[in-house]
Amino acid sequence: MAGKKHLIVGAGTAGYNAARTLRQLGSTDEITLVSAETPYSRMVLPYFLERGISEGHTQTLSGNQLEKLGVTTHFGRRAVSLDAKKQTLKLDNDDELAYDDLLIATGSSAVKLPLPGCDGERVYSFWTLADAKGLTAHIAPDAHVVMVGAGFIAFTILNGIMQRAGKVTIVEVASRILPRMIDDTGAGLVSSWLEQRGVTLRTGVKLKQIGDKGGKKVLTFEDGSSVEADVVVMATGIKTNLEWLKGSGVEINQGIVVDDHMRSNVPNIYAAGDVAEGKNRITGQREVHAIEPTAMEHGRVVGANMAGKDVAYPGSLMMNIVGVAGLDTASFGSWDASGAEVIEAVRPDRSAYRKYLFQGDRLIGAIYVGTDDVTWAGNELGMLKGLVQSGQPLGPWKDYLKRAPFDIKKPYLASHTVSALMPNTVLGQASPSPRV
Amino acid sequence: MKALRFVPDRCTGCMRCEMSCSYAQTGTFNPSKSVIKVAPLEQHTSYAPYTCVQCAEGWCMTACPVDAITISPAGAKVVVEDQCVGCKLCTIACPYGTMYLNPETHKAIKCNLCHGDPACAAACPTAAIEWVETDNGDWLGDFAAERASYNLTGLVAG
Repeated sequence: MAGKKHLIVGAGTAGYNAARTLRQLGSTDEITLVSAETPYSRMVLPYFLERGISEGHTQTLSGNQLEKLGVTTHFGRRAVSLDAKKQTLKLDNDDELAYDDLLIATGSSAVKLPLPGCDGERVYSFWTLADAKGLTAHIAPDAHVVMVGAGFIAFTILNGIMQRAGKVTIVEVASRILPRMIDDTGAGLVSSWLEQRGVTLRTGVKLKQIGDKGGKKVLTFEDGSSVEADVVVMATGIKTNLEWLKGSGVEINQGIVVDDHMRSNVPNIYAAGDVAEGKNRITGQREVHAIEPTAMEHGRVVGANMAGKDVAYPGSLMMNIVGVAGLDTASFGSWDASGAEVIEAVRPDRSAYRKYLFQGDRLIGAIYVGTDDVTWAGNELGMLKGLVQSGQPLGPWKDYLKRAPFDIKKPYLASHTVSALMPNTVLGQASPSPRV
Repeated sequence: MKALRFVPDRCTGCMRCEMSCSYAQTGTFNPSKSVIKVAPLEQHTSYAPYTCVQCAEGWCMTACPVDAITISPAGAKVVVEDQCVGCKLCTIACPYGTMYLNPETHKAIKCNLCHGDPACAAACPTAAIEWVETDNGDWLGDFAAERASYNLTGLVAG
C-alpha cells in the first residue's frame, strides 16, 4: 500500500515541527510543504537586528535539512483555497495539491494601523525577514526611531533599535507598556528602567496620522500633540492568516477551532500555531496562543497524529520573556487571572518584582521582573514555569512565599516538583535530537 | 547509562563543584558561570547541589527555534554555542530552572555532563555528587522537604 500524502501549509515553527516529527517517528509517507516565504525563524530576527547573527543563521530549514527530511516543497507559493470534500488545496499559481491529511499552519501577519501615512516610506513593521532587512538598512546612528506599540514584539527589538539609533521614543495606546504580558506594577518598573536609559515613553496616546515634513516623519496624535521621527516602527499587533479559508467549511472562531488532537471540525484537517484556537493548559479554555513554544508543541502533536500515533495535547502554557538593556521580564500562565489569590513583592530600588497567582495551593500564573545578573545567578524563571506546568501543590510553602517571596527554590524543591515533572513529555516518549 | 547522582546529606556546601563546573564550562573559576548550583536549605547547615536532570522531554531542546540544543553521546542535552542566538526561550521552557545564560557570551549554557566526565563529581570531596550507572531522579525532593522545613516555622525567612 502506498504511503499517505501529508500536506503542510506554512513552514514556520509549527509546520517545520510537524514535518520533522513525522520523520522522527519513522514515517516514510509523502510530505509536501507549502510556504509563502523561504523558511526562517521569526524568533531570531531581533538578533539579526542586533547584528549578533547573519541572515543565513535565521534559516531553519536549509536545503540540506529539507533533503534529509525528504520533503517536497512549494516555496514562494501561497495557498488560496481549500476544497475539503475533494481533499485538494489550490495554490496562487493554480496548482492543485491532493492530500490525505492537511495541516494548516499559515501563521500571522503584522498589522499596521489603518491610518493616513502608516503605509508610507520609512514606516516599517518588524515581522518578516524582509521587514528586518528593510529596517536594519535604514536606521542611521543619529536617527530618532519612534516605535508605535509597546507590546512583546516591540520589546523584542528594542535592544537592537537602542543599539542602532540615536534616540528612541515608544508610543502606546494602552495605559501601560507590555499590556498583554505584565501588570501595572511590572510595567512601572520596566518603564522606569527604560526612561533611566534615555528612552522616551508615551502611554495612553492614540495615533491619528503620520505625515512628512522636511525629510522627517511627523506622527500626530488624537490629543493634538505630535513627534518627529526619522524612522517609524509599527508594532501594532498581528492577525492570523485565515482569510483564504473562507467558505472551506473549516470552523473558525478567533482561530481554527481544534480538539485535543489538534484536529479541526474536518477530521483530516489539523491546525497548529498562531492559526489554531487550542486548549489553554491552565484554564482549559480554547484560545489562540500566538507564541513560539505553542507553535512548536502544536506542530509536534500534529506530526505525531499524522504519523498514526494517538497523541492528546494537554494544552499550551502562555509564557513570554523579553530582556531589554539588562532587565528581564517574564510572565507565565494565568498571570492576569482575576479572582486568583495573589502573593507579590516589589523592590523598586533593584527593579525586582515577583507576582504569584494561586488557585488553592497551586501556582497558576507568575510575573517576574529582575536585572539579568540576578536572573542568571539562579534561574527562578524555569522553576516558575515548572510550578505552573506541573500544578504541584505547594502546601505550607505557599505561606512561606509570603515571607520570602524572592526564594522560590525551596518551595520548588521541597514540593517534589522535580519528581512531578520528570515523567512529563509532550508526545509520550523521550524526544530525539532536533536534526534528522 | 551513567548519570549524576546527588546525595545531599553528604554535601557540606564547600562549592568546589561550582568552581570546577565554571572552570570546565567557561575556563574561569566563577560560580556565576557554574551550571550546577548549591542551594542552602536550612541556614548554614544543609546544602544540596542541583543541576539539569537530562529529562526525557528535553524542554530546552524542543523549544529551541534554531535547533541549537542536541543530545550528546553521553546522554546530555547540550548547547551548540555557534548555533545559539541567545533568545532565552529555553530558559523559560525548561521547567527545572537549569538553563542559564552565560553573562559574557549571552548564549544559553547548561550541564553537558562534561562530555561524560563531570568535573563536579570529580571535585566533590564528600561524594555528595557521584557519576554512576543510574537513572536520573529527584535527588533533592525528600531532603529539601525535611531539612528546609525549618523555614516553615515562620522564625526565619530565606
